[in-house]
Amino acid sequence: MGPLLYSLDIIVYIGIFGIVCLSLNLEYGFAGLANFGKVAFFLTGAYTYAILSQLGVPFYVCIIVGVLISAIVGLLVSFPALRLRADYLAIAVLAFGEILRLIVKSEDFAGGDWGMTVSPIFPYTTSSLIYRLENIGLIFIFLAICFIVVQLLANSPYGRAMRAIREDEVAAEALGKDRARFKAQAFMLGSAMAGLAGGLYAQYLGYVVPGMFMPMVTFTVWIMVLLGGPANNWGVLLGAALVEIFDRGTNIVKDYIALPVDPSDLQYILFGALIIFILLYRPQGLLKESMIRTKTLRSAHDARRSIKNKGS
Amino acid sequence: MQEGLLRIREVSKHFGGVYAVNKVSLDVTHGGICGLVGPNGSGKTTLFNTVLGIHKPDGGEIYFNDQCINNLAPHQIYDLGLVNAFQIPRLFYSLSVLDNMLVAAREQQGDKLFNSLFLRSKWQKQEEGLIEEALNILELVELEHLALSPAGELSGGQRKLLEVARGLMAKPRLLLLDEPAAGINPVLGKKIFQKIEEFSHNGTAFFVIEHRLEILFEFASWVYVMNKGKIVIAGQPQSIIDDPAFYTIYLGEE
Repeated sequence: MGPLLYSLDIIVYIGIFGIVCLSLNLEYGFAGLANFGKVAFFLTGAYTYAILSQLGVPFYVCIIVGVLISAIVGLLVSFPALRLRADYLAIAVLAFGEILRLIVKSEDFAGGDWGMTVSPIFPYTTSSLIYRLENIGLIFIFLAICFIVVQLLANSPYGRAMRAIREDEVAAEALGKDRARFKAQAFMLGSAMAGLAGGLYAQYLGYVVPGMFMPMVTFTVWIMVLLGGPANNWGVLLGAALVEIFDRGTNIVKDYIALPVDPSDLQYILFGALIIFILLYRPQGLLKESMIRTKTLRSAHDARRSIKNKGS
Repeated sequence: MQEGLLRIREVSKHFGGVYAVNKVSLDVTHGGICGLVGPNGSGKTTLFNTVLGIHKPDGGEIYFNDQCINNLAPHQIYDLGLVNAFQIPRLFYSLSVLDNMLVAAREQQGDKLFNSLFLRSKWQKQEEGLIEEALNILELVELEHLALSPAGELSGGQRKLLEVARGLMAKPRLLLLDEPAAGINPVLGKKIFQKIEEFSHNGTAFFVIEHRLEILFEFASWVYVMNKGKIVIAGQPQSIIDDPAFYTIYLGEE
């Protein structure tokens, strides 16, 4: 029973972090925004959910409000942040995440250091097996919705404009793309999705504490996206699964194999080495950037080809 | 009411103490090809960038279609139909050649967030038409067979062609071209100008910087000569060719 429950727990985490990966993929993979403050919006969603659920608000309201507040926070942060150059943007939002964490750590309304308990959507009274299965169902429904949204955006003229801005923002602006609008919208949507994941995370664990929202969360999501392949939605999900399995796998392995060192102590080192490896030998990630498919695009081109071939 | 489609009045742009553009006034009329020539560093590209909103002018006024565009952002100027093709191509290199073209189309339904998600059938119809147009223009510049290749795989000359083609894709009222024939073989260079002339008959005006004078003077109806940030000579190509001052500027003192 132990290993099965543990595996199901991994799947829950893959679902939750899959959503965060999709949101970072929207911001970084497609729009080119280096959001190193991902955890800030994850935290916003989780704490909004926790505070509302303690007031007895029904779960779906908690989730929706959490998403909306994360979106608004994302939009507000984007106004000053997006005026900065990419590297300063990264520093500014990284600091913002830490500021939020220190606020919830020191304020009573958020439970301070002790955090808060969160009432779960599904009752604990059933077995922990069923509790996990129910959560997997719920989380993967939301994951599917997020996947479809990002996929539709990426394969539309909107996504094409975002990718153009990522490639050369001066040229994109000179070709009529209001880069401030696109970036702010990408940031807002990405933050909303991260907030959704945060809410689901809080209700699954049944509590929130400030220690859950260290900057390492942001870096883990970055590793997932870089490993899987930025600008490829399947890729980032693959990255989420691989990193999560690697992370947890090292914890299981040590129970069965006697290693001279505890691998969980080495995780940060291994992650660091992994990033260097990816960037050196496979900078595009495991899966390449997906082509823009607006559905009509290929068919129109193929039709034209066949007409030409007949003509000649 | 004045006639010029683009009217530049006393426009200056300086970087530190250097006046790259110094109180330049000129008109580009509706339709036809207008040339801008001058030695390297005379301020031609800076003038273009100032018109496009990439640089803010330090003085003077710029009117496009009788509207002052001094304080507009580049994307707003683009929306008015004043479009540019860069001297050094600035393509979206990981996107396909066709996608590079489609980015440039004006008034797309599908580049709004809401429409892209919820009104897909609305823009997909438009998209079909745009693809058709894009392929037609790519055919003109002999890039159609590369439509689905990444723009990063194009050669230097092909990149230049795509840059010009992308400008045409916007169906501009006025297209600024910065050395469209540079780095392209003479036959194709001349061909580009022939295509430009065709487009100019269909209502697009062109304002062209070009060092390949023999090609430019064949097609341009009016030419401005710029030197050290100022317009020094203006006239029809033939009168400029006959002007000894022009040779002094271009070839240096005897």
